[in-house]
Amino acid sequence: MKGSYRQADDTELIKASVNGDRLAFSEIVERYRKMVARTVKGMLGDSVFSEDIGQEVFIKLYNSLSDFRGEAKLSTYIQKIAINLTLNEIKRRKRFFSMFSQDGDNELYEHEIPDPETEQKREAAEMVNKALAGLEPKFRIVVTMRMLQGYSTKETAEILDLPLGTVLSRLSRAQEQLKEILGKL
Amino acid sequence: MKSSELKKLIIKSLEEDAGNESIAGRLEMEGVTFDFGRDFTRKVVDKVFSVSSEIVAERELFRSMRFVFNRVALTGVAAILILLFSIFLAEGSFSLNSFLGIGDSIDESIVCLLTDI
Repeated sequence: MKGSYRQADDTELIKASVNGDRLAFSEIVERYRKMVARTVKGMLGDSVFSEDIGQEVFIKLYNSLSDFRGEAKLSTYIQKIAINLTLNEIKRRKRFFSMFSQDGDNELYEHEIPDPETEQKREAAEMVNKALAGLEPKFRIVVTMRMLQGYSTKETAEILDLPLGTVLSRLSRAQEQLKEILGKL
Repeated sequence: MKSSELKKLIIKSLEEDAGNESIAGRLEMEGVTFDFGRDFTRKVVDKVFSVSSEIVAERELFRSMRFVFNRVALTGVAAILILLFSIFLAEGSFSLNSFLGIGDSIDESIVCLLTDI
């Protein structure tokens, strides 16, 4: 099995990774890096810090793999780590900017534009980034889960450990905010 | 996709009954993609395994220290048992005097020994 993990399921990859198999862990990272990027970059913007947080997510995952009992899906487990680390980073930055700058919040969520393939695609990416950047963090996280990750409201509630009603109300308020933000773009 | 259509799609993606996987896919097709740099996986794996090899080295050190400690502790316990056994053989009891080596002595003879009379 060693050497070809493309077809392996998550359980096999976890087992091999816990035993120190580098290739198996590489496959986990390859498999879930985009998902983590959507969460981290969706919430923090496309900055150098996002990549650091992304790396931290997988390092934390590796260190806790032996405790992973498989009660939830691996993707959900990784998603929770990503959300926690991203929220911690937002809190950390907020504290930092509130100490040094009055306009910190505006700079904090400014997103850079991802690599454009075409002008239209660049505009689309920019629009989504601006829309996300304009949202409050608590709304941004539910929007990221729904819009970028494609989770249902129930799954979003489970991942965020929130009651379904809270998710629905946040989505509704986020929708109102988004309409306002997109109306100005 | 026109920007007005994209705006509608973004708004629609938040509705409860929206089929979000397809919306996320459509957004990706429109260029709304998120990923890390090309070397991301290699960097992560390098970091993880350099850290874990340090941990392995630490564990090895602890293991060998514990091995040495076990040997020393076992030898010590064996020495204590042999000592107790020899005291019991020589003195016939485990009293304080036996441990001090004066089990058979009487006070007067000790005074004689100490005063060199």
